[in-house]
Amino acid sequence: MTNKNYDIIVIGAGHAGCEAALASARLGCNTLMLATNLDTVAYLACNPSIGGTAKGQIVKEIDALGGEMAINADKSLLQMRMLNRGKGPAVFSPRAQVDKNVYHINMKRTVETTPNLHLRQGEATAIERNPDGSFSVATAVKLVYKAKAVVLCCGVYLNSRTIVGDCVRNSGPNGFANAKYLTESLIELGFKVSRFKTGTPARVKLDSIDLTKTVEQTGEADVAPFSYATDSIPATKRSCYLTYSTAETKRIISDNKQLAPIYNGSINGVGPRYCPSIEDKIIRFADKERHQIFLEPESEETDEFYVQGASSSMPASVQEQIYHSIEGLENVEIMRDAYAIEYDCIDATQLDATLMAKHIPGMFFAGQINGTSGYEEAAGQGIVAGINAERYVHGKAPFTLRRDNSYIGVLIDDITTKENTEPYRMMTSRAEHRLILRQDNADLRLTELGRQIGLVDDARYAKYLHKKHQIEQCEKQLKEVVSPKLYGPLFEQKNEPVSGAGLTVDEILRRTNITAKDVQSLGFFDETDDDALYQIELNCKYRGYIEKEKDAIEQANKLENKPLPNDIDYSKIDGLRLEARQKLNKIRPRNLGQAGRILGVSPADIQILIVYLAQNIHKQ
Amino acid sequence: MNKTIVALSTARGRAAISVVRMSGDNSIEIAKQFFRPFPQKPNLLKLGTLTTSHFDEHAMCVYFVAPHSYTGENTVEFHCHGGTAVAQAVIETCLEHGAVMAQNGEFSKRAFINGKQNLTNAEGIIEMIDAETASAAKAGANLLENKLGKRIVALQDTLLDIVSSCEAALDYPEEDLELPTVETSKQKLTDILCKINELISTATLGKVAKYGIDVAIVGKPNVGKSSLLNALLGVDRAIVSDIQGTTRDTLTESVNYRDIRFNFVDTAGIRESNNEIEIEGIKRARKAADSADVVLHVTDDPTDRSVYPTIRPQVRIYNKSDLFKSEPCCVDSLVVSAKYGDVEIIKETLYEMFSAQDIETSDLLITNERHLSCLKQAKLQLTEAIADCDKTTLDVVANEIKQVWQTLGQITGTDASEDVIDRIYSKFCLGK
Repeated sequence: MTNKNYDIIVIGAGHAGCEAALASARLGCNTLMLATNLDTVAYLACNPSIGGTAKGQIVKEIDALGGEMAINADKSLLQMRMLNRGKGPAVFSPRAQVDKNVYHINMKRTVETTPNLHLRQGEATAIERNPDGSFSVATAVKLVYKAKAVVLCCGVYLNSRTIVGDCVRNSGPNGFANAKYLTESLIELGFKVSRFKTGTPARVKLDSIDLTKTVEQTGEADVAPFSYATDSIPATKRSCYLTYSTAETKRIISDNKQLAPIYNGSINGVGPRYCPSIEDKIIRFADKERHQIFLEPESEETDEFYVQGASSSMPASVQEQIYHSIEGLENVEIMRDAYAIEYDCIDATQLDATLMAKHIPGMFFAGQINGTSGYEEAAGQGIVAGINAERYVHGKAPFTLRRDNSYIGVLIDDITTKENTEPYRMMTSRAEHRLILRQDNADLRLTELGRQIGLVDDARYAKYLHKKHQIEQCEKQLKEVVSPKLYGPLFEQKNEPVSGAGLTVDEILRRTNITAKDVQSLGFFDETDDDALYQIELNCKYRGYIEKEKDAIEQANKLENKPLPNDIDYSKIDGLRLEARQKLNKIRPRNLGQAGRILGVSPADIQILIVYLAQNIHKQ
Repeated sequence: MNKTIVALSTARGRAAISVVRMSGDNSIEIAKQFFRPFPQKPNLLKLGTLTTSHFDEHAMCVYFVAPHSYTGENTVEFHCHGGTAVAQAVIETCLEHGAVMAQNGEFSKRAFINGKQNLTNAEGIIEMIDAETASAAKAGANLLENKLGKRIVALQDTLLDIVSSCEAALDYPEEDLELPTVETSKQKLTDILCKINELISTATLGKVAKYGIDVAIVGKPNVGKSSLLNALLGVDRAIVSDIQGTTRDTLTESVNYRDIRFNFVDTAGIRESNNEIEIEGIKRARKAADSADVVLHVTDDPTDRSVYPTIRPQVRIYNKSDLFKSEPCCVDSLVVSAKYGDVEIIKETLYEMFSAQDIETSDLLITNERHLSCLKQAKLQLTEAIADCDKTTLDVVANEIKQVWQTLGQITGTDASEDVIDRIYSKFCLGK
């Protein structure tokens, strides 16, 4: 038996694992990344797409902190779109179709060329905590690795089962081997394990699709890359196609309802409401005549297309009928079956805001093992866990993100505060301060933090400082007065009423139809890049709302800044309701703000805690 | 373990019976020590002997077991003979055996803390206790039945529908959702605004019901203001003399007329003065008039046509009618003689003025300051949101509507941000 020593072992090489391992290695930790199969590094097991609402924002935040996902997506693009145009800057969300093979290979190459990082195939079968606080990880081939900290990024592989009708296999996604033994170690180490479910649609062959019955969707050329380090993105390499299910689809599903594992009881895991299978959609929303189906390219190198909107766990023979009932897919050739997958995950309320287990120092968790869903959510946790594992090993202060500075902060606070009853997906509506957490200002929000941590290199940092400087220069010009002679022609051309009086640059820019570029044409904002111009424009047009949001943050922070000592015995606090006592003792919130977000803790309980804290301060 | 509290639950003073209540983990054990035979079952009123250190009292006792009681804790009630002495002795006995005196409103507070009452319920009960007039009691009863709560929840529900539609549109831009148009959403928001306005407009009535109407009695010195107050009260409360400037400070006394409470404020006579104390008194008189709901401008000169300088509604009173030689010059005024107690017409006029009719028939009154300020804030936020529908983007408007919803939630004490997400998924078919 060999013993190999590392600073940190990352178990799993998916989207969380890659970010965690890269962060830890780049920060100087000798890091081992274990994967059951090296062909699964950064594998896009479900849709071949990165970004989307709230997720696009997360990708940009990872980038600002010095992570890899954005850069890797930019390198693997098939097409890019900006969702929610017209609905406001807070919800603009970049979404990309990426080449899943290229994405995997690019990430694997980055991992391989990163100093301090060792990629190793092997199924982790047991984790033990040694008396000195270090960890030993054993693999299926009886190798044992030792490290000061471990980061578990096991995705959906723990005890996973894939389900197609009544055909159930003990397998990970896409037939990859699962991890059969690790759950036992987790239970022994005191983790509460529950079972979640998700699913994926079939992959079909492009040349068997009747594209004439679909609507082609290309990418958009004017979207900025995900990464602030990428200069430009390529033109659309491959299109998507939009089609619809039919009345026939409804009939087939209704007729075969008894064969659906989610309805006949053979699936126990809890599935996400936001990711319903086609049978779920049709049975729950019986009134809806047809459902949208997007056909998305998996890669430039293959003809496989992903049938978005039609995941299913029906028997393969019924799946054939379902897919054939979709417009344009009448003669489609299925290449891979749709399936549902069930897996073990832990209760993330056992973790603190650094994603470390509260009861086991040095043991971190990130990604779907924490009950979340989505590549972006996983990667966002991965980078935070990786950074904190390094800080733990080197004895530095923990690094946490906040609800008012990032979606990742919202995500981690949510999952470590509220027990998930279904896989957690990020949505803009979960972020109460979304007017401030925009995709366009992720760099302004987080680059400084990434720099302090040590993941933002000089070139990237200089770029950020340059942008900040430009914005400051522009802001200085906002009070300058422009004569009607100068702005008149522009206003006429843009259908803005001319008042005849002089206007400040700020007043001009606040007009609905005037952009910062227009103001630039009047001789202001010299030599300013487009992204800095855009910041100026938003700051002016949304100033009132942004100010209000900042006030709201200040209000919220009053509770957020009241720490709750870690050793409070809530069961002894007079007046707290029983449920609140139990929940507070279990979750042990950091502060009153987090306490208030725990389900089962009422505003009255918070009042009592405030009184309790006041009394205790008084006593001291 | 929490403390066991005790208090007199019925009003102090002369009455046929009084009820003393204890609540807390130990209340049943405490009661068993001095009440025999103790009821064998909860919720059963039982006659027995209550032994105090002074005398034995024949009383009834009933106990309730947590959480099936008003406070959600173990509770014991003693129904004993009326009168202060008996109740006092029973309370002392409880205290001797380990209970502590309850703070004001502590029973309701415990009920709230133990989840037996939501915020509006608890506030309703406190108002009911405070209610000093019949209509105030009715407003309290409405809160108690949670009429306000129900109305607010209904408004929140409509808002939740609108918010979830907006949020679904924002979070699922690629789905072909059947979403309401801006126009229909605006219409719905405007309807909600109307309902909030209706609720707010009952607040004035609510204040009248709860606190009564403030009536300032002002006029020159020696016109008989203090006599008028005494006549209105039916007792000699204010000092009356022929010396000008007898009344120096303001004096407030309340009287119920039918179901409305009037708070009459007697004030110093207004004239030029060098006396420091009198100057202060006059200043207070003016202040009382400015903050009153109505001003009684008193004069004893039938030829006086002057108007008291105030923006408040005022009624001119010709006092000392017994001395008048001619009819007063202004017909729209009231003519009385405080000396002979002939002042009913003033009460009747005031009663008419404040449309007591409305108070009796209105089924909902906002009497609570906190509720009113929440509603006013919701109104402001909603007005802004409606205006912003045309002015700015959906991301902003959706936030604003959500805030209105949260503000209303402060009244009912509910705030569950998960609700929006739950509603989105129950209403729309979403996802890949």
